[in-house]
Amino acid sequence: MIAIEVKNLYFAYSAEEYVLKNINLIVNEGERVAIIGENGAGKTTLIKHFNGLLKPTKGYVKILGKDTRRHSVAELSRHVGIVFQNPEHQFFAETVEKEVAFALENFGYPKDEIEKRVNYILKYFDLQKYRDKSPFNLSEGEKKRLAIASILVYDPEILVLDEPTTGQDAIQKRKIAEIIKRLSEKGRTIIVVTHDIEFVVELFDRVIVMAEGRIIADGPTREVITNYEIIKRARLLPPQINICARLLEDLGIPSNIITVSELVEEITKVYER
Amino acid sequence: MSVRIDLFKGFQFKYRETIVHKLDPRTKGLYVIICTIIALMYTSPIPILLTFITSIILVLLSRVTKEWIGTMKSIALLSIFIFIVNYFTAPYEKLNFAVTMTLRLLTLTSTFSVFFLTTSPEDFSLALLKLGVPYEYTLIFNMAIRFVPTLARDLQTVIDAQKSRGLELEKGNIMQRIRRMIPILVPLLVFEIKRSIMIAEALEARAFGALKNRTYYYEIRMKKIDWILSVIMVLTFVILIVLQLMNILPEWFYWRIPM
Repeated sequence: MIAIEVKNLYFAYSAEEYVLKNINLIVNEGERVAIIGENGAGKTTLIKHFNGLLKPTKGYVKILGKDTRRHSVAELSRHVGIVFQNPEHQFFAETVEKEVAFALENFGYPKDEIEKRVNYILKYFDLQKYRDKSPFNLSEGEKKRLAIASILVYDPEILVLDEPTTGQDAIQKRKIAEIIKRLSEKGRTIIVVTHDIEFVVELFDRVIVMAEGRIIADGPTREVITNYEIIKRARLLPPQINICARLLEDLGIPSNIITVSELVEEITKVYER
Repeated sequence: MSVRIDLFKGFQFKYRETIVHKLDPRTKGLYVIICTIIALMYTSPIPILLTFITSIILVLLSRVTKEWIGTMKSIALLSIFIFIVNYFTAPYEKLNFAVTMTLRLLTLTSTFSVFFLTTSPEDFSLALLKLGVPYEYTLIFNMAIRFVPTLARDLQTVIDAQKSRGLELEKGNIMQRIRRMIPILVPLLVFEIKRSIMIAEALEARAFGALKNRTYYYEIRMKKIDWILSVIMVLTFVILIVLQLMNILPEWFYWRIPM
């Protein structure tokens, strides 16, 4: 089934200029998709259409068949959980527990169900020990995990993460990657906006590249991020391992390598020859 | 909500190449002060109306008509309210009183609007500085203006984040709506306090307050035209006061609306 369908989407904040121009996109259920592109390319504007925070100026967006123009943000949020970049933009409760329960209360879950889900998610995210602490007293990594937990607690079919790895250390990044993998195994659809190309290579099979309000590439990760023309337009750098592979091209190493293990394998082959 | 935003727009500066924009803020400040005194001093419509007309001339000269109309529109409702309240509460000369009070509001709004539409916040604080206000305070003023759009953006981000967690702002009665503001206001407040600490640190890292007397890269200067206009304004005002005291102003100047 189609999770997200975007058709001829145009969006403008004011009459002067379109921020999104002719966006066409289909994401199937269970897919893991990364959206990359320079700052101001329209990535965040696009994901705000997925739960109806922004409504199309022209064209339409359908979430699990529901047209976002005809459904409220609250309705759509049940299916699409968006975790924004800065966790501090959403913390308000006195305790971590209440923070996590907030969405469940809004969606009208019964008390025992809330308790069950909060217990489960705090354990899942390794946050039980902070249960009665203020969200503001957590470390940066824990704050990020709490922000994700406060969305995942109601188990939306589609999860959207806006720059989840920005400002996170390697261990936190690993934990976020772990969470994404586990959710994916459960069949959830995952969309991530990021600048972290190594993160993209590790986790995503499909990459969408945006520039100046348009989608300039959409395809398998290997194909897209080894296309230097595209990568340059998105103002990114290819993965270092790919740069390395290209420098070793003379040895007969293919130029579309994107992971360390692939390169090791190729170099081993060269030695064996 | 939209009313207040329009009012704010009416005070937002945009640079244009006109004689009014180029005037020293102190000259324009003097104009605002004199207009304010005249508008508050008289209880008959003619002098206030004349003051109002001078502000319209300035609006036309400075080509900020669109923004000025925006401001005036935003106080239209308030003007009607003031008119009605004064009409029904005045003990005598009801119409005269109501008209004068409404004109007063319009004139004060108009003159202040012209001032802020043609004076950049930086120039305004430089003028305050010249008038002896300490730099710390003028900086606060400048930053307050500078951070209004930032605050608006932060507010939108917080609203988006909470709506994404199922918060519905439009539903329910007044008490419920007020309670729903908590998830919006708490993150915003915490975030802005943190931001202000960060700004303070960044300022200190750039040696803010290191010396008692700092220098300024850009300074405002009274030009010839500023002196001429200032002298004209002060003279007009003094003559008006003198004539007033000697009681030789023409009759029509004090004309009051009968009833």
